[in-house]
Amino acid sequence: MTRTRRPGISRRTTLALMGTGAVTFATPWVARAQAKTIKIGMPTILSGRVAQLGTSSRNAVMLEADKVNAAGGLAGRQIEMVIRDSKGQPQEAARVARELVNTDGCELLIDAEASSGAFAVHEVARDLGVFCIHTNSETSALTADPKQHIPNAFRTARVGVHDSIVGGSYAAAIAKTKGLKKWATCSPDYAYGRDTTGEFTLYLKRFAPDVEIISESWPKLFQPDYTEVVTKILQAKPQALYSCLWGGDLTSYIDQANIYAMFGQMEVFAVNMADYTALTVVKNLPKGIHSGNRYIKTFPATPENAAWGDAYKAKYNEYPTNWSWENATAIMLLAEASKKADSADGKKIADVMRGLTIKCPFGADGTVTMRAEDQTLIGYAIGWGTTIAQEPYVPDVHAGDWKTILELEAEWKKSKGYA
Amino acid sequence: MTEVQAEPAAEALRAPRVETKSLLSPYRDVLIALTVFAILAALPALSSSKALLDFVIRCAAMGLFATSLNLLVGYTGMISFGHGMFFGLGAYGFGLIMQRTGMPVPLAFAATLATTAVVATIIGSICVRLKEIYFAFVTLAFQMLIHSTILSWSSFTGGDQGLRGGIPRPVFLGIDLSNHVHLYIVSSALLVIGLLAMRQIAQSPFGYTLRMIRDNAMRARFIGIDVWRAKLTIFVLAALFACTGGMVMALFVSGAYPEFAYWTISGEGIFINMLGGVTTFLGPIVGTVLLLLLNDTVTRLTEYYGIVLGIVILFFAIGLKKGLMDFVVEWVAQRRGGAGGRG
Amino acid sequence: MDLDALAGCFVSPACLVTQTTSGLIIGMLLFLVAVGLTLIFGVLKVVNFTHGAFYMFGAYFAMTTYQFTGSFALAMLCGAAGTAILGIIFERVFMSRVYGSDVLMQLLVCYAFVLIFDDVVRMIWGPEFRSMGMPTAFQVAPLFIAGGVVPPYYLLLIGVALAAAIVLGVGLTRTRIGKVVRAAAHNPGMVSALGINTGLIYGGVFALGGMLAGLAGALAAPVRSLTPGMGFSVLIESFIVTVIGGMGSILGALIGALLIGLIRSFGSLGFPLFTEGLMYLFMVIVLVSRPAGLFGKEVA
Repeated sequence: MTRTRRPGISRRTTLALMGTGAVTFATPWVARAQAKTIKIGMPTILSGRVAQLGTSSRNAVMLEADKVNAAGGLAGRQIEMVIRDSKGQPQEAARVARELVNTDGCELLIDAEASSGAFAVHEVARDLGVFCIHTNSETSALTADPKQHIPNAFRTARVGVHDSIVGGSYAAAIAKTKGLKKWATCSPDYAYGRDTTGEFTLYLKRFAPDVEIISESWPKLFQPDYTEVVTKILQAKPQALYSCLWGGDLTSYIDQANIYAMFGQMEVFAVNMADYTALTVVKNLPKGIHSGNRYIKTFPATPENAAWGDAYKAKYNEYPTNWSWENATAIMLLAEASKKADSADGKKIADVMRGLTIKCPFGADGTVTMRAEDQTLIGYAIGWGTTIAQEPYVPDVHAGDWKTILELEAEWKKSKGYA
Repeated sequence: MTEVQAEPAAEALRAPRVETKSLLSPYRDVLIALTVFAILAALPALSSSKALLDFVIRCAAMGLFATSLNLLVGYTGMISFGHGMFFGLGAYGFGLIMQRTGMPVPLAFAATLATTAVVATIIGSICVRLKEIYFAFVTLAFQMLIHSTILSWSSFTGGDQGLRGGIPRPVFLGIDLSNHVHLYIVSSALLVIGLLAMRQIAQSPFGYTLRMIRDNAMRARFIGIDVWRAKLTIFVLAALFACTGGMVMALFVSGAYPEFAYWTISGEGIFINMLGGVTTFLGPIVGTVLLLLLNDTVTRLTEYYGIVLGIVILFFAIGLKKGLMDFVVEWVAQRRGGAGGRG
Repeated sequence: MDLDALAGCFVSPACLVTQTTSGLIIGMLLFLVAVGLTLIFGVLKVVNFTHGAFYMFGAYFAMTTYQFTGSFALAMLCGAAGTAILGIIFERVFMSRVYGSDVLMQLLVCYAFVLIFDDVVRMIWGPEFRSMGMPTAFQVAPLFIAGGVVPPYYLLLIGVALAAAIVLGVGLTRTRIGKVVRAAAHNPGMVSALGINTGLIYGGVFALGGMLAGLAGALAAPVRSLTPGMGFSVLIESFIVTVIGGMGSILGALIGALLIGLIRSFGSLGFPLFTEGLMYLFMVIVLVSRPAGLFGKEVA
């Protein structure tokens, strides 16, 4: 009787596959030998909706790391970046961060995660004591809240409350000149959206007490259809609108609000408009939208900043994003700190980094400082202006004044019980 | 307007019954459990790899979840798309209790289980009378409702940022959960005990009642079984084990995130069951190990995790058409069947 | 919660009309996306979880065509035709293999393809979000109809959605092809025994459903940003609409979509922070009282 050939893989192939599989899968658990390079781990988001956050962070980090390596590396050790995707899930961010430190031998972490991922990595930094710089999370509480303070974690991302102070005072000035008393807000319903909008409103009303918020809308992040939001705003008939929608959401919102002719009926303040990602993508940009600067190569209007932006564009064939400059600054700080400490050891670098001021193309006065008290970046360029549809996109930027920012921030911290 | 008739898109699982009960008795199960635990407990002494311990902790969390899902899917034929809600409730419940009250860990553990049991009973009593795909849809709807609530009630749950600030771990009975090795041992213990308990449920007369309900609920009713009560009972029991998995995960990441209650967790549970196979008890554990290994390896090598996972799923769904353990068991059975091949 | 705003709206005619209109607009857009899903379930008994991916492809095909030709009509055509072809290939090569299996296998195959398609789109078009832009022909001022504001472009979308509903409704009941399709849904064995190629019917219906999703994506492209993974939120919404309306029922999908649109529209007034939750609550209520949906046929 002939044997019919069984469908499926043969026994031998299965065993071979299992063998290869075992070797491939088990490799991470075999300890790796220490090399003359220093490995820096970077958990970030390289897939999904927010993939651009990770890719632009990675671009900036590699750009700067190459420069550092060309100049001799960190205290003589060449930087080797180990960049891994967490798919935007906080438990994956935690796992990846742990894996980078425990298995891959990374001695320092650049945490390029967004909001909840950053908090997850923060807990890993707390647990393992590894040196960590948060580069993308703008949630004020990450460094403002004393409960989050750990000596080995820093932040080079812009802080929400700084942005809101500048934005609020800029908008208040315009509100007074143009008599904009009735305002509406439309922001994504998640921590960044709620916090930023709340803080902006706080400072707007502080500088222009006549202002009244008559309507609030909270669409979901990545919501495709904004129809009910647009009609609700139109009905409320505000004189001005504030929004911290960003990226694809902002573009969708502009497209949908355009067909309702919303932009002709009110002044619009969209803090995330002046970002190349939005400016180069949106097809029918309405005139005169007020925006904060995310990354603009003409603000600060220095040759250093323009040169950096051009170099990035030349290498990657796309404009830098807000995430790009934040990550670049992290590497710049790291390089300077390790030079001063003459070491690539996380603890020594941390000790030097507190209070360190460095020359930086993104600084309001050419420098930025890592504030010692809560280990977050200050002195970076913040400004607001009106957008146009072609280069330089924001021709006239009103810069924020850091003295005022710091005073008001201290007040804010007291009011929140953080100080 | 016309209505195109809709028949239920899910038939009862036509899974061949793999009878292994003749091989094992409850005492054997306990012996195996103790041996496995001993091996796991010895691992920290044998290997200095923290990553290996992390891996086992994650396997404990997802393994408990996936096996509990199998109790519903494989043994009772109840396809739940919303089982992840109990994983999330476990994580949040434990996290909130530890952060807001100074309760000792074992008490918090028990309190979380109790709360989940209550929620599961309420939701279950509404859902379990529904059949097949409708049951799946309602459980999914409940899960999304819970997820939405977690997101919206940010003053209580922290909203989309999750529970921040870490989970306090006061020492109890000399066990310090902030010590990595202690956490590992406790997770392994929970895994082993949980599996043992679920095994006993599966092999008990109640377990056979469930199989009967899976194969022919009407016949079960005719011989006097209260199908609704049996389904509700297993729904709540499965919820408890899923909750335990959630607590382990919360300890691992030292927090709780809305993602833990999102339908993707339920989806992962279903994948794991399909990968490992639903006809054997250990299938979901095999599936858990497979999925986690795949996840870790692929994210180390490429950012195109989606396409790789997609191809792997297709391999199992279209190629093998069954889970790995099912495949292995059938292969072994064929070898035992002797020469002559399959006709 | 802002119940005052909600109550205030009910007593103001202008508000009532505007919110109802926007609810209807949202609903019709949802229906256009969801109708393909319910059709495929009704005839093929398969929950097509790749529905969102077809929507995504429709949008990307349309955007690329518009980029190269500047013609809106051509863009719509390519969006629809491209996804129809994709639908046929997908159905014949992959879905047909899992018709007999249980719903979990079908779900897995579909989900596998969602993952694959998302990454394929990412590889071809890049991870950044893109925008098609509104064709100049539609860059006109909105109309005022009965006190409600209606952009002309949305009138087009509503028109297409209604046309689809009518064509499908009439087509399935009054035409010979429709009768054959419904027969194949009831009893494929019998239909095949009568010499009719059921494979062709299945492929055709799947292609039609996919094409409707692709057309919806193409039509949405001028007003929504495109990004890999954009199909996902649309899939969830379609799913909710068809489950509430009753899987397989076109009328159900229409009513379900309109109800969801109205809930969103009025819900965003009264419950701005829980609008999405309202939707799920409604879904739970409907499913608990009528598990097969509002217009679905419960099978014993």
